[in-house]
Amino acid sequence: MSAPLLSIEALTLNPGGNPILHGLSVTLKVGGSLAILGANGAGKSSLLRAVMGLEQPEAGRVLLDGQDLVTTRARDRAALGIGFCPEGRRLFPGLTVEETLAVGFVGPTRQRRMRIDEMLDMFPALAGKRRDRAWSLSGGQQQMLAIARAIMNQPRLVLLDEPTLGLAPMIIDEVLDIIRTITATGTGVLLAEQNVGPALRVAEDVIVLVRGSSVHTGPARALSPSQAAKLMLSSG
Amino acid sequence: MGASIPQLLVNGVALGAAYALIALGFVLVINAVGAVNFAQGDLVMAGGFVAVTITEYLTPWANDNLPDLAFIGPRASAVGLGLVILPLTMVVMAVLGLLFSALAYAPLRHRPPVSVFISTIAVGLILQHGANAVFGPEPRVGPPLVVDGNFALGPITLSIQQLSVIFAAGCLITGTGLLLSRSQLGRQLRAVAQDPEMAEAIGISAGHCIAITFALAVALAGSAGMLLSNQFFVAPSDGGLFMLKAYIAVTVGGWGRLDGAAFAALLIGVFEVMMAAFVSYVMAEALLYAGVLLVLLVRPSGLLRETIQRRT
Amino acid sequence: MKAGSLRNVGIMAALLIAPVAFALSAGGYEQRIMTLAGIYAIAVLGYQLIFGRLGALSLAQGSFFGIGAYTTGLLGIHLDWAFPASFLASLIIPAAIACIIAIPVLRLESHYFALATLGISQIALLVGVNWTEGTGGANGLYGVPPLRILGTALDSSEAMLVVVWCVLASAVLAFSCLVKGRAAHRLTLLREAPEAAVTAGIDIGARRLSLFVASAAFGGAAGALQAHSIGVVSPAVLEFQVMVSILAMTVIGGRGHPAGAILGAVLLVHLPEWFRFLEAHYLVAYGAALLVAVIIMPEGLAGLFRRWLVTQERWAPEPPRTSKPEVPTTLAVLHLVGLCKRYGGVVALDNVSITVVPGEILGLIGPNGSGKSTLINVASGLQTLDAGEIRLGNLDLTGMPAHGRARVGLSRTFQTPVQALGLSPLESVLAACPAGLDERRAERHAAACLSAAGLTAPAVPTTSLSPAEARRLDLARALASGPAVLLLDEPAAGLTPAERDDLACCLKHLTDSGLGLLLVDHTMDFLLPLADRVICLATGSVVAEGPPSMVARDPAAIAAYFGEPPP
Repeated sequence: MSAPLLSIEALTLNPGGNPILHGLSVTLKVGGSLAILGANGAGKSSLLRAVMGLEQPEAGRVLLDGQDLVTTRARDRAALGIGFCPEGRRLFPGLTVEETLAVGFVGPTRQRRMRIDEMLDMFPALAGKRRDRAWSLSGGQQQMLAIARAIMNQPRLVLLDEPTLGLAPMIIDEVLDIIRTITATGTGVLLAEQNVGPALRVAEDVIVLVRGSSVHTGPARALSPSQAAKLMLSSG
Repeated sequence: MGASIPQLLVNGVALGAAYALIALGFVLVINAVGAVNFAQGDLVMAGGFVAVTITEYLTPWANDNLPDLAFIGPRASAVGLGLVILPLTMVVMAVLGLLFSALAYAPLRHRPPVSVFISTIAVGLILQHGANAVFGPEPRVGPPLVVDGNFALGPITLSIQQLSVIFAAGCLITGTGLLLSRSQLGRQLRAVAQDPEMAEAIGISAGHCIAITFALAVALAGSAGMLLSNQFFVAPSDGGLFMLKAYIAVTVGGWGRLDGAAFAALLIGVFEVMMAAFVSYVMAEALLYAGVLLVLLVRPSGLLRETIQRRT
Repeated sequence: MKAGSLRNVGIMAALLIAPVAFALSAGGYEQRIMTLAGIYAIAVLGYQLIFGRLGALSLAQGSFFGIGAYTTGLLGIHLDWAFPASFLASLIIPAAIACIIAIPVLRLESHYFALATLGISQIALLVGVNWTEGTGGANGLYGVPPLRILGTALDSSEAMLVVVWCVLASAVLAFSCLVKGRAAHRLTLLREAPEAAVTAGIDIGARRLSLFVASAAFGGAAGALQAHSIGVVSPAVLEFQVMVSILAMTVIGGRGHPAGAILGAVLLVHLPEWFRFLEAHYLVAYGAALLVAVIIMPEGLAGLFRRWLVTQERWAPEPPRTSKPEVPTTLAVLHLVGLCKRYGGVVALDNVSITVVPGEILGLIGPNGSGKSTLINVASGLQTLDAGEIRLGNLDLTGMPAHGRARVGLSRTFQTPVQALGLSPLESVLAACPAGLDERRAERHAAACLSAAGLTAPAVPTTSLSPAEARRLDLARALASGPAVLLLDEPAAGLTPAERDDLACCLKHLTDSGLGLLLVDHTMDFLLPLADRVICLATGSVVAEGPPSMVARDPAAIAAYFGEPPP
């Protein structure tokens, strides 16, 4: 049994005195995909941010391939191979599609150009939008760009925070296809979602969070959407 | 008075081009950290004095060590010295910019923007009175970029210095624009200015980018100081007016827009020179302030649309 | 009289008397310096009104100082006006100028406001230097007659010192009157939690105007005294250096309390004396002192001594005899009709229409990104609408600013409770009470709102409230304006089941008096039993509407939440 890609041990998070996560433990195997389901305030975003290094935990550890990330800053975690697609996308509004993809890329110019071309092939929604500014894209296109930005450097682990937020069902299907493609390349995926159905369709495993603690873990196919929703929206 | 319209236009564009350099640096800091740099004008003045000092040391050396060029005339070895002094000034000012960001910005980055406003006022005071202490209050003349003198274009006499200033400023402005829009560093500076936390999350060091932005902004201010010091001289108390012009340019041109600020600064320079020639300098200033107040009343977001990303 | 305020008065009295006593014993030179300190302290007090209390960075205070000086000088020299007429004129003219420029300028955001005030001060300087016939141009005015009180000319340094510091004492009194009681709480709320303040009915524009005009009057008074004190008015009095001095004194002394004005002025006026060994370079030390102060002493010297200076009075109210609010709830129907809002390429609200009737709890559910928060922001006036109408009863709220909506009966709470840490819970709620109530009724009303919201310990500091209590405080503040309809943005998020039950009970009680609630939340166990009707939003449109049990089974709602129809 190989070591997990990501291991979160007893993570406790209290930003500003607000208890968000209580001793949460999660593992993700190499090439695995884990859906984190929870309502607003359950702690999904905080968990992803803590993995990325944007929040400092009060207690607990985050290990990437066995390496403790406690002293690693967010930008170094990105260099180690974590891609981040935050809630609300947080694109750089004034940058064009091409610039957004280029700005975080590490590598020589020629490689960068090739990789951008690859991305534009992989995300047909962005085809022909190279020089358009991020703020002018539709919701679905923005989401695609945010995901593409997260995988530009071929990370080992991708963190996706509510990628289906506010999207029409057809676009959601496209997003799910992209996530499946990412998983197929062996990249680990940590997917935080409120949208239960799509999340369960695309992830291998699932964990349900209610007010900072896990109320259920297990394979995704063993949990039906309505069961998941009931758990998620309960008082825990 | 007595100068022809083309001469006045050249003067105006030269002045405006220097103002554009100041305004550009001003906007870079606004976009990067959301704070108004009240010391920008004093940094221009500091650049002027740096240029004056470098000239004082470099000219004797050049006179001793570079060959005379008889057909150009006396002080021949000083020809083109400005072309060396300008980049030297900018390098010194870039280092000063790093120091400036460490003093006036870094300790206050988690505080509300008004704290940085005040800290930059404080640094401006230190620069102004420090310059007064070191150089005295009298204006000093700075080096020409290439050479002093005029040349005739048909019936019009134009100053070589003014034309060089326009050319140099144009190169610097274009260079900065290209840096920001075409280079990886420029993209990173822009990304950090728009969302520093997200930039960190994709591997960009926001702290480094902010420091570089300050270095660039102050280097541009220094270049303006050097370019202006030949015709307008440089005195420790000059800072306030430069800062005010930059502030006006940025407001009129659209808060946060580099192109708008540069363009508005150019207009201000031309306006000032034309007004001063046909009416009076005082009237030019008064109309400028009245004009900006009018703009603020009618279209507070500036003549061009304000940039989408607004800092809260 | 309350113990805290007695101590306050004692400290201020000491600060006013000690410098005068010291200077009187030290000789003429020190007296002139201390007089200057007193003059600047008056200007700084005025600046504290606009910059310290309201947080607006005005750069015109130095100009008001200069205008006051020129007014006194001109009236004294040319028209032979004497105290108190010329002094009053030096108060009124800057105040009038402030009034004229305020109306267009105060609406501007801070970076524009600073520039506008800077531009005005530059114009004033240009006029002062260049209008030779009027102001004497670069040479200025000389021969300003000394201050005369009841026929006696006060031209000795002792007399001037005492008079200036007496005027300063009156200025301190005036300052306290302007910012006492609930007015002070409103200003603190406005400065620390502007969105909460605005949605509680506090008119930021009106506040800025009155304080700006008052600050100008203080500045003018200081300038007038300066003119009498040195007998000469030169354009230097309009230069930016004066503004910088006032700003430095405010920052170093502390911008929240009158004591800071005195400390800052006395310290910075003496600074050149102490740094005399640096000769001309003392101004560098000035700049360095300001830089150090803003970095390590954000509250200034007065802030360092804060424990001994009671800036607000805190006390526990008597328990209310009844829990009926003093401000009766009006009954009105809220109509949101055809609301549309987009951000760039993203549609947040697409023709949404919602009605809330008195006494009803209307639940609003929907996945993240469905537009629920945008709806509340747009209804409360914190964001603009692209299209649509908002009506409360007979009133059209569509173009009304946020504070107006609060005053006519529309309140809201916030998803993350906004807190003004400088106010106790009781003070926060008092700040939100309508201005027309007298002190006693306001206290009773605030206490009633706090108990109606379920907050039982109103005298503890705001910093030690638990998240659940912070939400109750937010609710109490929203109730203080006597709303007809209350918009609640995820009030149950992060609460334990017991806390949620409490809250549900509390909200049910609130509707007994006819208050209508629009309740946005995710926790179905909480919302579905509580609501009378439920609306489900998805991608900006209404997809289901009806009784809770019906919406919970509605296929469109389920699809919105679960992403696909149930098996």
